[in-house]
Amino acid sequence: MTGRREGSPFSGLSTVALKEAADHMNSARIHLVMLLVLLTAIGSVYAAIGQIKATIGEDQFLFLRLFTTAQEPLPSFVSFLGFLIPLVAIALGFDAINGEYSRRTLSRVLSQPIYRDALLTGKFLGGLIVIAICLLTLWLLVTGLGIVLLGLPPSGEEIARELAFLFASFVYAGVWLAVAMAFSTLVKSPATSALCALTLWLVFTVFWPMLAPLVAGAIAPVDLLDPMTAVHQIAVQQGLSRISPNVLYGEATLALLNPATRSLGLLFPSQLSGALMGAPLPLSASLGLVWPQIAGMIAALIVLFTIAYVSFQRQEIRA
Amino acid sequence: MVPARFRSSFETPSKLLAAAVLAIGLGIGATPPASAQSAATTAGQQAPTGLWLTTRYPDFSAQAGKDVSVDLTLSNHGLPPQRVTFGLDGLPTGWTWEIDGGGKPVRAAIAGVDSAVDLTLKLKPPADAGADKPVAFTLSGKGDGQSLSLPLSVTLTKTEPAKLTMDPKLPALRGTAKSAFDFDVTLKNQGQEDTTVNLLSKAPDGFQVTFKEGYGSQELTSLPLKAGESKDLKVAVQPPDSTQAGQYPVEVAAAAGDISANAKLVLDITGRPTVALTGPEGRLSGDATAGQERTFTFTVQNSGSAPARDVALSATPPSGWKVAFNPEKVDDIEPGQTASVAVSMTPSQQAIAGDYMVSVRANGPGASDSANFRVTVRTSTLWGVTGLAIIGIAVLVLGFAVARYGRR
Repeated sequence: MTGRREGSPFSGLSTVALKEAADHMNSARIHLVMLLVLLTAIGSVYAAIGQIKATIGEDQFLFLRLFTTAQEPLPSFVSFLGFLIPLVAIALGFDAINGEYSRRTLSRVLSQPIYRDALLTGKFLGGLIVIAICLLTLWLLVTGLGIVLLGLPPSGEEIARELAFLFASFVYAGVWLAVAMAFSTLVKSPATSALCALTLWLVFTVFWPMLAPLVAGAIAPVDLLDPMTAVHQIAVQQGLSRISPNVLYGEATLALLNPATRSLGLLFPSQLSGALMGAPLPLSASLGLVWPQIAGMIAALIVLFTIAYVSFQRQEIRA
Repeated sequence: MVPARFRSSFETPSKLLAAAVLAIGLGIGATPPASAQSAATTAGQQAPTGLWLTTRYPDFSAQAGKDVSVDLTLSNHGLPPQRVTFGLDGLPTGWTWEIDGGGKPVRAAIAGVDSAVDLTLKLKPPADAGADKPVAFTLSGKGDGQSLSLPLSVTLTKTEPAKLTMDPKLPALRGTAKSAFDFDVTLKNQGQEDTTVNLLSKAPDGFQVTFKEGYGSQELTSLPLKAGESKDLKVAVQPPDSTQAGQYPVEVAAAAGDISANAKLVLDITGRPTVALTGPEGRLSGDATAGQERTFTFTVQNSGSAPARDVALSATPPSGWKVAFNPEKVDDIEPGQTASVAVSMTPSQQAIAGDYMVSVRANGPGASDSANFRVTVRTSTLWGVTGLAIIGIAVLVLGFAVARYGRR
């Protein structure tokens, strides 16, 4: 099985990635999902601008409000992204490998001078390219809408924070793409892998916020006579909820887009004594605050990709 | 002739009132012809009948240089209306006289039955009339067959010259440039005339002088003073805050027309230290990392007029913070000099990123200042390194997988 062959394992990587990206760009599936994302995003930003114009007189970070202001019944732009980015990523990746199986095209592709490493990595990179293009377009669209409708240019720090937010969104999408691709290698049927990925998405989006306190209560019960057990339970609950990439992404966007955010965890009043509330944090401090979240997402992305990789490398593909 | 009770009062020692009674008695009783008197008088009747010309004060003194007026009463009891023509004898030369009745000069008057006519004798002494010498004259009235006469005497006296005095109770006060200097001053009008005095002051530049009533809060510029009256005033002097130590004279005066009184007040201002606390390079903000000591150099400046001694430094840090000063106490700062203090702040290990306010104070006797120092806390980069390590581990796992399963 392990016949060593010549050449780089990544020869043909760019060919696969670009072809994959081009295929995605032309597929009706992605058009549909992106249309959904674009419409909701524009709707929420438009509503946010109306709200900003009506209520806010002066704000140092007016542009960041575009992303975080919600107007009933629409949620804010970042909540939309947290909800819909996984959908786009799953749509891009759920049949990446098992789709090739079911179309019986995998052996044909691999009969070309392309290694499996390059095929899997190329498919993953192709998905990331599409996601990057979509997010960048969306980001430019929102910023442009903000400039046109608010009549103000964003400040340098606002742009830096928005770029950091863009990067966090990209990593978040990458995590879900890796999830979808892992399922597409582990599960043979594309329909099943899509369902698995969607189930995970639903669990993390809808049920995880309910499950985390429940599980935390079971793991770390509160002793009424010892207040520290309550603190411990909250810490456990927070740790559990941070398994969900949605929570990590939500915390990252909160700290990046709301500069007054000073902490994402449990705080004691003693830590707040003498603190100037509402004073915006410098960008570097905000980045330091969200770095654990982003690092966690990057690590999760790599680990998920490794799972997909190991699984794919060990599969029998001569079908 | 004269009723008994009149006689008894006649025998009493001479008094002003008695003199008036005497005038009545003389005016009527002393005239030689019996017919001059009303004949209806009988000893048995209580009310006397007759015609009288009277005044209350027949012998009086008046101010020199002024017109003299004497109130007269022509009264008629029980007689038919009597016409009386007036005359005045015995006035020294240069004096003029006039009798006014009902607001106009009159030469004669008629007293009706049981009624009295009020008259005023006006005398105008010459400008060079000698003072302190009684001038005697007789006012006479000629009626229908009777003659009335009223001897009068006026003594001209010199008027006291108007005089004001101003006496401070405590003419010199000592205090710092920020003290209140309140001088109590008694102002007295020792003349015989009411007057209105203006209050004036002369003080070094920048000194504010205000006059107040002794127990009032209203500021005064002038006040009326009756003859012989005295009033307590409060003179509040406010020197500028930056006044150097020394003695400063303040002159206050009260003037009414061409007379005035003044008083000299002295403010003995002692020096006063003023300390000002500034942060490093004049800024009041700095960076620190949670759990790590950071030293800022604060400057204590004495901008006052006296040395600041024993200026102790203290701080109100957020809980869990450590703030140390080196030195903890500055022994001596001369006026215009500065002293540097190293302030070492150690934010709490649990401090969250962002801005905290640390209040720093410099306290000396008589002088203090505080500064709110804003510390931007940065959290340790340990978590950043941990994040990188986690990513590194993930990459290692991937590398291992590639090495183990790669190039199939």
